[in-house]
Amino acid sequence: MSLPSVAAEGTAGRLCALLFLLVCLAWQPAAGQEGGSVSVRSADSSLVDGVHRVDARLQYVLSKEALDALESGVPINVELEFQVIQNRRFWLDKVAAELSVNYQLLYNALSRRYVVRNRNTGEQDSYATLYSALNNLGRIISLPVIDEALLRDDRGHRIRMRAVVDVKDYPAALRLIAFWRDDWRITSDWYEWQLEP
Amino acid sequence: MAARTLRRFLFTLLAGIGLLLALTALLLLSQTSQSSEQFDRLSGITLLVNAVGVVILIVLLIGNLARLVQDLRQHVPGAKLKGRMVAMFIGLAVLPLLLVYYFSAQFLNRGIDSWFTEDVEQGLEDALDLSRAALSVQMRTNLDLTVRYADRAERLSEAALVRELARMREDTGALEVTVFGPNSRIVATSFDRSRLAVPSPPSDEMLLQISQDRPYVSLDPLEEGGYQIRTAAPIVGDARTGGRYVLQALYPVTQRLSAMADNVGDSYTDYKRQLYLREPLKRTLTLTLTVVLLVSLLASIYGAFFFSRRLVAPIQQLVAGTRAVAAGDFDTQLPTPSKDEIGFLVSSFNDMTRRLATAREAARDSQAQVEAERANLEVILARLSTGVVSLEPDLRIRTANQAAGAILGVDLESRIGELLPQIAAGRPLLEQFVDVARVHLAAGETEWREQIVLRGEVGRRVLTCACTALPAEDGHTAGFVVVFDDITALLQAQRDAAWGEVARRLAHEIKNPLTPIQLSAERLRQKYLREMPPGEAQILDRATHTIVQQVEAMKEMVNAFSEYARAPDMDMTRFDLNRLVREVIDLYRAQDPEVDITLDLDPELPAIEADAGRVRQMLHNLARNAVEALEGQDDGRIDIITRAEEDSGARLATIVVEDNGPGFQAGPVEQVFDPYVTSKPKGTGLGLAIVKKLVEEHGGSIRAENRVSGGARIRIALPADEASREVMLASLPRRGERGDRRRERA
Repeated sequence: MSLPSVAAEGTAGRLCALLFLLVCLAWQPAAGQEGGSVSVRSADSSLVDGVHRVDARLQYVLSKEALDALESGVPINVELEFQVIQNRRFWLDKVAAELSVNYQLLYNALSRRYVVRNRNTGEQDSYATLYSALNNLGRIISLPVIDEALLRDDRGHRIRMRAVVDVKDYPAALRLIAFWRDDWRITSDWYEWQLEP
Repeated sequence: MAARTLRRFLFTLLAGIGLLLALTALLLLSQTSQSSEQFDRLSGITLLVNAVGVVILIVLLIGNLARLVQDLRQHVPGAKLKGRMVAMFIGLAVLPLLLVYYFSAQFLNRGIDSWFTEDVEQGLEDALDLSRAALSVQMRTNLDLTVRYADRAERLSEAALVRELARMREDTGALEVTVFGPNSRIVATSFDRSRLAVPSPPSDEMLLQISQDRPYVSLDPLEEGGYQIRTAAPIVGDARTGGRYVLQALYPVTQRLSAMADNVGDSYTDYKRQLYLREPLKRTLTLTLTVVLLVSLLASIYGAFFFSRRLVAPIQQLVAGTRAVAAGDFDTQLPTPSKDEIGFLVSSFNDMTRRLATAREAARDSQAQVEAERANLEVILARLSTGVVSLEPDLRIRTANQAAGAILGVDLESRIGELLPQIAAGRPLLEQFVDVARVHLAAGETEWREQIVLRGEVGRRVLTCACTALPAEDGHTAGFVVVFDDITALLQAQRDAAWGEVARRLAHEIKNPLTPIQLSAERLRQKYLREMPPGEAQILDRATHTIVQQVEAMKEMVNAFSEYARAPDMDMTRFDLNRLVREVIDLYRAQDPEVDITLDLDPELPAIEADAGRVRQMLHNLARNAVEALEGQDDGRIDIITRAEEDSGARLATIVVEDNGPGFQAGPVEQVFDPYVTSKPKGTGLGLAIVKKLVEEHGGSIRAENRVSGGARIRIALPADEASREVMLASLPRRGERGDRRRERA
C-alpha cells in the first residue's frame, strides 16, 4: 500500500512556508504609529566630594494613548538606567557598575495634579500641569552615580544612560494587549560620555 | 517500512508536544492573567508556548490534510471513509466550540459592560466634586489667612517677622510658615521640627504665579497618603531690600477629611481606570478566549484526523491484505488492533490467510513431489533405449522420449502437440509406424503388441511395439501409450552368435576329416597312379586332384570360419593408424596397379589405442573387399579417408572406404555384414562379417551404404583411447540410432 510521500510533503512544505511568511508579516510591530518618545538631550558628570554626580536633561513626549491612560489613573513608570563601563584594551569593555533610578508619574484626580514620585527614595512632588511634571522629571541635577573609590583603573571609565518609559504596573489582564504594542514601552538611546576623574 | 514507522513516531511525538504545549499555554495563560508578578516572568514564555503549540498543530493539520487529499486523489483504500469521518468529527467538534465561543464572547462583553453604569460614574464624580468642594473651602480659608499675614509682614522687621510667623503658625494651625526672599532664600521660617528637617522649597509654578502678584494655593497629595494645602502670597512693598518676598504656608487637611478624600479619589481613579481599560480588557479576554478556542479547535481537528486514522487504519490494512491475498500473497498477517469487532475481523482474516498459506504450502509440496516424480520419469524415459510415445485419441503427440525420436528418425520431443500423421509425411520409417498403429486403431484395438519391420533408406529396422490405452475418468479412452524397442541390433547379435556357433561346429566337425581325406587321396594317387593304365590313371589323377583341391578349398573355408569364430585376447597398443593404412594400401597398390587407390589421411589424427593386428586385418579385408568389387572394371577407384572426430565425449578415429564399383545389392544394407552375403564372384562371404566383428570388439561402429553417385561406402569409427572405448561401449545399444538420426536431420 503506497502512502503519499513526496508530493504530499512538497505540498505541506509549501503551505508551511506560506504560513511562516504570514506569521512573520503579522509579527511586524505597527511601525509608524503616532507614538511617544524619550531622549537624553544632554548629560554630564562631575566629581563632587569623591562621588560622581550626573546632571542631565531629558525630553519626554507621551503618546496620546499614554496620556489617556495617565488621565484615567494608570501610572507610568520612568526608569533611568546608568552603566559605568570600564575601558579595556585587549578585551571587550566591561560594565563595572549599574544604577537604576525609578520614578512614577501619576495623575491625582481629586487635586487635579500630576504627581512625580521617586520610587527609590519615596519622595514625591505634585505639579499642576503635565508639562511641569515632565519638565521636572527630565531635569536630573547632581544625581550621585558611583563613588570614585570604586573606580581604580588606568584605562578610565565612561558612563552611559538611558530612560525607559513603560506601564509595568498595568493591570494583568491588559498585559497581553500591552505586550503587542510598542508604544506602551518606549526606550531612549544610550547617551554615553567619558567619566572624568 | 522503517521510514514509515519513524515518520509515524515523529508525527505522534510532534502531536504530543503540540498538545502538551497547547495545554501548558492555556494553564500559563490562566495563571499569568491572575498574577502580575507571574506575568512579568512568564508572559514571554506563555506567548512562545502558545505560538509554538499553535504552529505545531497547524503544521500537523496541514500535513494531515495534504495526505488526505493525496490519498483521495490516488484512490487509496479507506481514504474516502477517512475523509467522511474527519468531516464528521470536525463537524461534531467545531459546531459546539463555535457556539460556546460565540456565547462566551457575548457574555463576556456584556458582563464587562454591565460593570460600568452611568449612575455609578455620576455618583463618583459627584463625590469627587463634593470632596473638592469641601477641601476648596479650607483651601480658600487658608489662602485668606496667608494673604492677611503676608500683608502684615510688609511692615515687620526680620526679627519681628520670625516672631510673627511663629504666632501665625500657632494661630492658624499651619504646619510650616516660611518667608522666601529672592532666589528662594529663606528669610524666616517657623515649622514643626519634629515633622520636617528643612522647610519645603517653593515650586516653580508657585513662584511663577507669585511673580504675577497672585496668591497661590494647591492641594498637594502626600507620600504617606492624605493631602496638605500649600498656600503662598507675595509680600509686596518691602523697602528694606527692594526685592520680592513670598510667604508660603502649609496647612494640614484633617485626618478624617484626608481619609475620606483619599477614598473618594482612589475609588474615582479605580473606576476611571477600569472604564478606560474596559475595551482593552474585553479585547484581552476575547483574545484569551480566542486562543483557547483556537488551540481547542486545532486540537479537536487534529484529534479528528488522529482518531479517523486509528479507526480507518485496520480497514485499510484489511483492504491491503485482501488485495495481497487476491494477488497470491498468503503470508499477509495484519496486526490485531484491539479486541473489538474490527479486531475479531482482523483475527479472522489472519486465520484465513494462515489456512490459505498452509493449503498453498501443501499444494506446493504435492506439486513439487509430482514435478520430482515427473522429472524422474522424464530422466528414466530419456535414458531408456525404448521409445515411449503417448498420444491423444486423435494421434496428437502428448509426450515422447528421446529414444522414440531416435528410433523413428524424427525429433518427436520438439513436435509435441502436433498430429503424428502430419509429422510422418515424407518420413518413411514414421509413416510405416503410423500405418501399423492406424491399422490397429481402425480395428478398434487399443491394446496390441506386434513386431514391426520398417524399411528405410539406411536399412531395415525391426521394432517390437506395444500399445496400451490410457484410461479416462469417464471410461473413454484418453489416449494411448506406444512403447517400442529397436531390436535390429539384438537380432543381428543373435544372428552373429548363431553364425559363430555354426563356424565353430564347422571348424570342429569338418576340419578334422579333411586331412585324412586329403592324405587318403594323395596316397591313392601315389600308390595307384603309376600302376594304372594311362586312361584310368588320368581319371584317377583328375579325381584325386579334384579331391585335394576341394579339400584345400574346404580347409580355407574352414580356416576362415575358424578365424571368424575364434576370439583371442586383444593386444592393445598405441600406434599410428595413418601409417598402418599406408602400409596395407601399398601392398594392394603393388598387387593391383589397375585400381586407383587414393588416400586422404587426416594429419591431425592421433595415435589410437587398439589391437594393431586386428586393425591390420580389418584394413586388409576392407581393401580386399573393395579391390574384388572393382575386379574387371577399368576405372576402378578406391578412396580411403581417415578423420579425427568426437562424439558424445568420445575421441574417434574414422576410416571411410569408398569405391566406385557396383555397390551393395538391393536389400537391407545391414545384411552385408552377415556371413555368406556377398555380391562378388570370389570370396568366402566372411570378409565384412569379420570386419564388423573386429570393429565391435574394439567398441567401434561400422556402417555400410551405397553412394548416391554409385559404389559402396563403408564407414568405421574406432575409439582413439581406452576412455573413449568405454564411452562407446556404454552407448553401444543406441549408437546405430544416433547415426541414423544424424543422417535424418542432415
